Amino acid sequence: MIRDIGYLNIVKTGPGTSVQDSGRIGFTGFGVPTSGALDSRSFTWVNHLLKNKDSDAALEICQPGLKIQFDSPTLICLAGAKTDVKLNGKAIADHGIHAIYENDELEIGAFINGSVLYLGIKNGFQTEKIMDSRSWYIGISSNDYAEKGDLIPYFTTQELPRFTASKVKWDFSWALQPIIKVYPGPEWKLLDEKTRTLMEEMDFTISHLKDRMAIQLEETISHKPHEMATAPVFPGTVQLTSGGRLIVLMKDAQITGGYPRILQITDAGLSVLAQKRPKQRIRFQLKNVT
Amino acid sequence: MIPKLSQISPLLYEFEWNSEVSDKLLQQQLSFKAKLLHDFNPKIVDMRIGFKTLAIILSHPIEFTEIDNWLKSFDSEDSSYPLPEKIREIPVCYSLETGRDLEVLAQSKKITSAELISIHSAPLYRLHFYGFLPGFMYLNGLRKELHTDRKSVPDRIVPSGSVAIGGTQTGIYPSSSPGGWHLIGQTPISLFDPKQPIPVFASAGERIEFIPITVQEFDQLKRHPQKPKFK
Repeated sequence: MIRDIGYLNIVKTGPGTSVQDSGRIGFTGFGVPTSGALDSRSFTWVNHLLKNKDSDAALEICQPGLKIQFDSPTLICLAGAKTDVKLNGKAIADHGIHAIYENDELEIGAFINGSVLYLGIKNGFQTEKIMDSRSWYIGISSNDYAEKGDLIPYFTTQELPRFTASKVKWDFSWALQPIIKVYPGPEWKLLDEKTRTLMEEMDFTISHLKDRMAIQLEETISHKPHEMATAPVFPGTVQLTSGGRLIVLMKDAQITGGYPRILQITDAGLSVLAQKRPKQRIRFQLKNVT
Repeated sequence: MIPKLSQISPLLYEFEWNSEVSDKLLQQQLSFKAKLLHDFNPKIVDMRIGFKTLAIILSHPIEFTEIDNWLKSFDSEDSSYPLPEKIREIPVCYSLETGRDLEVLAQSKKITSAELISIHSAPLYRLHFYGFLPGFMYLNGLRKELHTDRKSVPDRIVPSGSVAIGGTQTGIYPSSSPGGWHLIGQTPISLFDPKQPIPVFASAGERIEFIPITVQEFDQLKRHPQKPKFK
């Protein structure tokens, strides 16, 4: 099959737009973060509806004010945050499949609920694969975040959308619940009884210090600082800093850290957390691993 | 010595050694890692090493007892490989232009900059693992005299190649990044190339030697990049 390349042109973007796939697996031995979609649940859903491979790259959008233009026909699929979406100036659904024709212009306006939107495309975006992944990460890929004028390649397709698939309901209620399920982390046992109870009973607030590397929570926990040798950390690891701050590591997090790792968020919980906004509150619910 | 096994999540396991950071422990960790990869590949999709830990992520859940039984039958004497002999030479220009905290740090230690440079460049440092940034080497062997608490307010930008001291450790920033370590010099060589199949030049267990160079040599090497030498 001959595939023609089309380009998505970034006409306008806020900060935080990037190409992400299922992650860069197998290079942590060189200190390379996993990266990949922050909310893997919504990301997986767009690829699933497009009948793409699970690992195909999508556009991750974290701010309102994105305007893009497609120079060739394709199919796209949206999922994730509830947003105002316009295709050629006309409001369209913020989830499901849409047919795209030559020179179509898509705009993402206000984020009504949630904080990450995925735009998947038939066969995935075709940006450069480095270390087995197309996920953008500073120092690995030539881009880290999209800028005005960037051209993002894809394979054009004339396929018509299957309307049965495009009508699949996107229920976003999972992302709105405050409960984040967690496993006890390697250093959980070093916390005293009172702190452990507090961790489960307290509400925590998402702070403005939130990016693809980590989310800092506003509340502090008083505890006896614990010196530890640098040890492995993962996306979803909750670190307790010496100042008592909680830092939740996200997909671009470093692969080792020196702070006690008190909790490990479940994969499903990490997708919920990725959709939270500053000032929103969460509560940890402990789960046994076995 | 047999590490302690904990299961953190359905796919995440961690082994922890209860002993001091040393060449001996590293040797055990690396031998353990080789045996683990040999016996469980391709079920292991990710492996990360810390100074006293080794964590794995599995592709599919396995019974805890399967890993636990494997661990119980592990013979640390039987599967022990010596650490590599290779020494990697990294040229470092120790100066105020390339390491802005050099003089202040020397003053705080009540030594001269020249003394600080000679204490820092004398030992061979052991590479334990990579972390923090792509290509950042965790090195063991910083002399006690140079241990220094991290800055209370981190620098917004540490230039790529900076050689720095933080806590009980020394390291090189492979790319520019925010950082809280004290900068004492800079290497002109590139430590990480994402386009290469193996993006770093040194392997865990090898040793690193810092070779002091002049500002002129630094500029020269910047213009005509070279790979680090080894012996």
